[in-house]
Amino acid sequence: MLELFEAIPSLLSLHILVPWLLAMVFGVFVGSTPGLTATMAVALIVPFSYQLDKEAALAMVIGVSFTAIFAGDIPATFLRIPGTPASAAATLDAHELAKNGRGRQALLVNLLCSALGGVGGVILLIYLSPALAKVAVGFGAFDYFWLCLLGLILGVSVSSGRRPNLGLLAAALGFAFAMIGRDPLTNQERFTFGFSALEEGVSFIPAMIGLFGMSEVFRAVCKIEAHPPDRITAGPFRPIRSLGLVLRHFPTFLQSLLTGTLVGALPGAGADVAAWGAYGISEKTSPKESDNFGKGEWKGVIAPTSANNAAVAAAWIPALVFGIPGDAVTAIVLGVFLVYDITPGVELFSSGQGSFIFAIALVTQLLLIPAGLLGIQFFSQLVRLPRGMVLTSVVVFSVVGAFAMNNSMVDVWVMFAFGLLGLRLENAKVPLAPLILGMILGPKVEVYLRQGLIAANGDVSAIVASVVSMVMSIMFILTVLLTLSRQLVRKKDEVI
Amino acid sequence: MSIMKSALLICLLLLVANGCDSKPTTPENNDFPTGNLQIICPWGAGGGTDRISRYFAEQLKERLGVNCVVVNRTGGSGAVGHRAGAEAKPDGNTIAMITAELSTMHQLGITDITYRDYTPLIQMNGDPAAIMVNADSEYEDLDAFLAAVKQTPGELKMSGTATGGTWDLARVGLFQKAGLTKDDVTWVPTKGSAESIQMLLGGHLDAVCCSLPEAALQLNGGQLKAIAVMAKDRDSAFDDVPTAIEQGVEWSSIGWRGFATQVDTPADTANILRTTLTDIANSEAFRDFMRVQGFQIDVKSGEEFTTFLERQDNQWKEVLEHYVSQ
Repeated sequence: MLELFEAIPSLLSLHILVPWLLAMVFGVFVGSTPGLTATMAVALIVPFSYQLDKEAALAMVIGVSFTAIFAGDIPATFLRIPGTPASAAATLDAHELAKNGRGRQALLVNLLCSALGGVGGVILLIYLSPALAKVAVGFGAFDYFWLCLLGLILGVSVSSGRRPNLGLLAAALGFAFAMIGRDPLTNQERFTFGFSALEEGVSFIPAMIGLFGMSEVFRAVCKIEAHPPDRITAGPFRPIRSLGLVLRHFPTFLQSLLTGTLVGALPGAGADVAAWGAYGISEKTSPKESDNFGKGEWKGVIAPTSANNAAVAAAWIPALVFGIPGDAVTAIVLGVFLVYDITPGVELFSSGQGSFIFAIALVTQLLLIPAGLLGIQFFSQLVRLPRGMVLTSVVVFSVVGAFAMNNSMVDVWVMFAFGLLGLRLENAKVPLAPLILGMILGPKVEVYLRQGLIAANGDVSAIVASVVSMVMSIMFILTVLLTLSRQLVRKKDEVI
Repeated sequence: MSIMKSALLICLLLLVANGCDSKPTTPENNDFPTGNLQIICPWGAGGGTDRISRYFAEQLKERLGVNCVVVNRTGGSGAVGHRAGAEAKPDGNTIAMITAELSTMHQLGITDITYRDYTPLIQMNGDPAAIMVNADSEYEDLDAFLAAVKQTPGELKMSGTATGGTWDLARVGLFQKAGLTKDDVTWVPTKGSAESIQMLLGGHLDAVCCSLPEAALQLNGGQLKAIAVMAKDRDSAFDDVPTAIEQGVEWSSIGWRGFATQVDTPADTANILRTTLTDIANSEAFRDFMRVQGFQIDVKSGEEFTTFLERQDNQWKEVLEHYVSQ
């Protein structure tokens, strides 16, 4: 730890700080353009970084990799277009706050939670890595199956309020859309009806952009809203009050930080599961505010945003201990490490190189604040425009974002189709978030279940054979019962 | 004023994000390349195939003076991206990254695309398959492992990729030569070598079949050991790993990568691409890049590459006739 603090001053020279901060601003802007992902931002910055010396290069690459998720939350908050799957959880409450003129404050809280969550995640990474990594590789297919199923049901339960039946319906619909395309285990075509355009499946980012962003435009054009506000105000710039809000909800922050780190350390789970899990847990543990979730609850902003950045840090645990990258971003950064002869392994944690990387990761969290502020201020200017122009820019962002994923027009049509679907579903009071959750987690649930059953030679009892599986299956059943009881309460209310 | 500024900034942002800094220069008297190039990579961003694609994209940009982007079209163990590459507009602006799956997918009925649907340009890489076990495993060599497989048919678990993927078929071929069948171990399908290695380290599998560089970190870190490499000669970077042939099983299997363009691409356009790509593959810088990434260089250009593709198709035909009927 002493070495860590000794490494920090050596980073604070101009020839490192300037490219570092510039790269992070770049990361925020790329990440806040829907459809342009963290992976792209990192892949774009890598060739630049090779022009600089080792310290600056590593700082740039690590810096960009940590900006992406916060950046995705900016358009999610103001325009309801989530930039990344992990942002979808933060969209619900943050966008409601933005509609009430508190968008900028929601983003400030988000930025603070992201930075603090990142710091917490990195510190836990430094101290708990070897132990957590051992736990992480011990996770078998059925353990992942239950974890993803639990994340799914928690997310559905929170985001569908008092109508869990409609939420489950939406999740099932999302699951069905995710089935289209090649079977992930055997590569046979499923539900493509012979169209080669469907072979890749329904791309999930265009679907998400359409469902959330485009449907808003359709709604405005159809004049369905009773009293459309002329424009969203970004709201006042109050950093101190935002910090106060975070401190007031410190237990929520801490609980989400731990959830994020534990889930993020599992190479098969990821930041999206962490964000939804933390969001669900914070709702279940705050009975007083639970009715306010999804309607602009601060805890609903704090929980997912602290968890997802902690998860990004924790994704480094299996990568640094065993050299197993959990996702594409980690894989690219790991590739850069190898160029500079930084080899993953337990020894890294006690070496000078290790403390050097951790110092970069820690300072990155602090630099996220100025880079993020720039992004917030820029988008706040954007939403001050008249509503017609904002909606036009939503259309532009949505089309560009959908196209940019694969350079494919099919994705643009998918985006428009999901926009119409989103409009129809919201009119029928069907919540949209569970549909997205079904699309993200459904395939994971399927793959892990089938993997587990194949490995167990079809023995169904193996599904709860491990302790982890057993505990999580009980939690799953409890969550289902809790959610269903809420449905019964609602029925009773209606009878009275 | 602020509207103008915002609009300008958005435009700038999109320009930067898409990297639209094309410089229309003409290096040859043929007017190719006229527009931006794209490389269609059938595998995901961040993986080995993607990293090699991006390296070539950078180099092509430098040498041909036009922008070159990598587009990842993933799914179906490469089937999606291979089709997209073969069916793109044949003007030379779309280069297809092709990988070993091209020789097997059509014989498995996953796709109807074969090497005959392309104009092959160059092969730049080839890594043989290898069998890896945990460092503390009781299997010291291939004999011990195959004997255990024979004794407990269907009991041991292996992985490395999806069912029918390159590394699955590599071990099926090995098993056939050793007098075993594909179902003598349970193949647990995964997304790829990273996930499989993680499962092996966690004790969920008994062995993994993938290339040596994919497991380099764990092999050098002493967590895994390789018991056989399926090549004619030992790998210079892992020269303590014996070949399967040394251990009495006459079998070799290679995971290769290369570039191709569409069948109807004009010959002189294809030639410009082939020459440029070959120059890049023979450069000192490429050798350094591949050494750091841990991939072996294996350059075959033009006719030689086409012949190699034909031989690969035949080698797998023999193995897959049994595979499909079993």
